[in-house]
Amino acid sequence: MSLVAALALGVLSPAFASDPPPDFRVITHPSRPESSVKREFLADALLKNITHWPDDESIRPVDQRADSAARRHFSETILRRSVQAVKTYWQQRIFSGRGVPPPELDSDDAVVHYVEAHPGALGYISGNVPIGKTKVLAVSP
Amino acid sequence: MGSPVLWGTILAAVLCVFPSRRARADDTPLTQLPDVHAFVSQGFMLSSKNNYLTRSRRGSFEFTEVGLNLTKAITDDLSVGMQLFMRDLGPIGNYKPQFDWFYLDYHFRDWLGLRAGRTKLPFGLYNDQSDIDSARVPVLLPQSVYPTTSRDFLLAQTGFELYGYEPLPFIGALDYRFYGGTIYLDSTSLNAPGTTVTDIDVPYVAGTRVLWHAPSPLDGLTAGASLQLLRIDLDLLLSPDEVAGLKQAGVVPPDFGDTFKYKLPAFLWVGSVEYAAHDLLLAAEYSRWRYDYKIRPEVVPDGNITSTRWYVMGSYRVAPWFSPGVYYAFFNTGAKGPDTRDKYQQDFAVSNRYDLTPNWLLKLEGHYMRGTAGLSSALNSNLPLGELARDWTVFMVKTTAFF
Repeated sequence: MSLVAALALGVLSPAFASDPPPDFRVITHPSRPESSVKREFLADALLKNITHWPDDESIRPVDQRADSAARRHFSETILRRSVQAVKTYWQQRIFSGRGVPPPELDSDDAVVHYVEAHPGALGYISGNVPIGKTKVLAVSP
Repeated sequence: MGSPVLWGTILAAVLCVFPSRRARADDTPLTQLPDVHAFVSQGFMLSSKNNYLTRSRRGSFEFTEVGLNLTKAITDDLSVGMQLFMRDLGPIGNYKPQFDWFYLDYHFRDWLGLRAGRTKLPFGLYNDQSDIDSARVPVLLPQSVYPTTSRDFLLAQTGFELYGYEPLPFIGALDYRFYGGTIYLDSTSLNAPGTTVTDIDVPYVAGTRVLWHAPSPLDGLTAGASLQLLRIDLDLLLSPDEVAGLKQAGVVPPDFGDTFKYKLPAFLWVGSVEYAAHDLLLAAEYSRWRYDYKIRPEVVPDGNITSTRWYVMGSYRVAPWFSPGVYYAFFNTGAKGPDTRDKYQQDFAVSNRYDLTPNWLLKLEGHYMRGTAGLSSALNSNLPLGELARDWTVFMVKTTAFF
């Protein structure tokens, strides 16, 4: 995996400590035992195709505003769709009675607070903001 | 309840009562407010030579849709929801509100969930989304596979549904649904001059849809198949004039009363493939619908007819605010005899979607049509479809606000 791809996927290692921050980082509640997740699992969780962690705890995904840079990067890299395409996906789900999207929070700080407060929570934040008590997950392809 | 004004009042009142959902740090499923979403659409249709869906030759604004839904998670695995919907499309709908869907849903595992209530029928890629203007580029989905005039028959069933989603190692994921129940139909919507539907019943509808989502690097590729079985029973009461005419023509015996009884078992299937990645969407579906018919008294021998329906469609989001699209759809009724214009419909459509704001869009769409299958004789001066213009065009404008 190239350095750029590794950073884009949120895979951090001490060797890269002096490199620019990644576009986003994936965070979860500190009680989660995982240190990494596969990209497809992450995509399925944010799209609510998968609703439980492997140990059966409910996943509580949380999203960011449609105009945030972190969401744009997350959407293109992890979901492999534009933000607009993801919004269309949720329109299909909402009005056909198949589900509602994760809450959209206004800022990185709000996502950090939400993830800290909700066991099983899963979200993402900009690469250069404090993660609070949350836990960063590496993302494997 | 049929008044558009009353409906609008209810909509406004509900929207005032429920503020939009905001996540809070202390949120749990039960303490969260219900999710409330709604859409309002208004369209205009203008056609040449033939009336299409409404009296479109003179230009028609009878092209309105309104939907309002509430969804509430009771626990992490149990949720309820409902959507009210009304529309006016020429002779269809007439602003009569109805429950589009309602359900209680228990999610045992990701690979097994159960829904009870009225649920949208998962037939093909888009049947359960056919009312959702904001979820696609074209104004009209390809009418060969998703005929809007058959919405009452094809959109939703009342009963049970089992569903699930299962990632598979190395080969992607399966998304599946199995359902069974009945369809409640309004017999008055089928009345025609000289005939009244006095009883209509769907003793069963059952089916399945299985979609396969390809793994990386083919993200966005979906392929699948849908099957559906149903039977429609109906009693058709003829007016005295119609009965007299049929007796005079020798079509019915002299002792014929005034009612025909129909039984219409049907088997529908569709094969689907879609590629949706980044801003590109490509889709194609091929479908065949077989109807067996039994009419008593037996004025025509029992038989069957199988229609063929397919389309190819593409769209691309050029900019966040602009998405053009195009499709070609083909429909053949399967009726025996020469391939006359009333037995097929070819539809070449070009669409432009403009997202004016994140919650408001405008669409422009043009259709070049060849063939008259699927048109309404009643909307076209009761002329036989074989006498309508073979080549004709339709232009549509539609705007939708949603949240």
